[in-house]
Amino acid sequence: MLLLTLDSYTDWFKSSREQLTKIAYPLQVMANFPSRIVAWAELKTTSRKQLEQRANNLEKERLILLGKLQRSADLAAENLRLRQLLNATELLMDSVLVTEVIGVSPDPQNHRITIDRGAEDGVYVGQPVLDSTGLMGQVIVVYKNYSQVLLISDFNHALPVQVVRNGLRSIVEGVSDFNEMELGFVSPTVDIIIGDQLVSSGLGGRYPVGYPVGTVTQIDYQAGEKFMQVKVKPSAQLDRSRHLLLVFTLQNGVFNGQN
Amino acid sequence: MGKTNSLQALLIILSVVTILQLVPVDGKWLLWRPNLLLLVMITWMFYFPDQYGIEFSVMLGVLADFVFGTNLGFYVLVFTLCGAVVALLHRVVAYLELIHQAVLVSLLVLAVECLKAWANIFLDKPVFWQHVPYIVLASLIFWLPLDRLVKTIYRWQRQ
Repeated sequence: MLLLTLDSYTDWFKSSREQLTKIAYPLQVMANFPSRIVAWAELKTTSRKQLEQRANNLEKERLILLGKLQRSADLAAENLRLRQLLNATELLMDSVLVTEVIGVSPDPQNHRITIDRGAEDGVYVGQPVLDSTGLMGQVIVVYKNYSQVLLISDFNHALPVQVVRNGLRSIVEGVSDFNEMELGFVSPTVDIIIGDQLVSSGLGGRYPVGYPVGTVTQIDYQAGEKFMQVKVKPSAQLDRSRHLLLVFTLQNGVFNGQN
Repeated sequence: MGKTNSLQALLIILSVVTILQLVPVDGKWLLWRPNLLLLVMITWMFYFPDQYGIEFSVMLGVLADFVFGTNLGFYVLVFTLCGAVVALLHRVVAYLELIHQAVLVSLLVLAVECLKAWANIFLDKPVFWQHVPYIVLASLIFWLPLDRLVKTIYRWQRQ
């Protein structure tokens, strides 16, 4: 009980825990072997016809995305012009680095993953992590060549968001469920409906603006309560994505974490 | 097989189990995965009660805290209390049929899950009661081959 209280409320065991994590890194790599072997076996047993089909699909997908990118480049240029007209102080631009998940916390209450990029790649504490569909979380511990990421679904995590439809700001909190989060302190008079898309608001300075966070799936209100209970389904595939993106935000002409 | 050899067997089993515990799985399976370290502790203490007592459960608790990334002391507390119960029961267990041993292990896993839930409430963490029956069932499925394996090691040591 004493150990539990000390470790919960002090940082006394932090350094020894970090040292032990370094020692356990080979175990984590070995634990990742089965999934790598399955992926390798799937690749080896795939026929040439299936690979050609997949390549064709990817080529079509690439063309569609390139088309969308041209449109978004146009919008980005327009956004830049409007920002200049408004004399906006800072323009945020992002650069990304691809990373792979090499470990997942076995405790269902702790939503943490280990990725194969570390200080050598310029990763820094607080760095946002994305998958192909939305925000995944932020880096909390950085080692030489791997890092730990706290997912947005962890019960210790809270993230400032805004509703795309009307710009309403709020905070989405994790409840240690990969498929559900909660929107905190939403007054019953607020304009929010099921299906509303939430994106990061950028408040707090940790996450960049405009990345998809989730969709409102359920709104409950009990008479007499101060706030509504709003459930959100995360956009990112928090328990399935293997390849992620580390976001480097450009601020004052320098990418965070890179000299 | 002497005491050193049983220790070697234990270290091999613990290494394999730790790796199995760390294997990444999808979110829904994560909630069903049994605590393999706890099952090793229970089974080993049933068969080698004279060599592995409460101090063994404390050490495995520290290992579990480290593997699961929980606050230090969380699994130490849970494993120590479970280890104390196992140490009290080991004389009775030797006379039980497999089915009764299985019921006893299920009850121990259930008690540990309740203890974990209580500790999580104390630490203001979410509790998933709905998954407890599945964890007990999954624990039993893993415990059966583990019991056979440890029994074989025990017989080798006795020869």
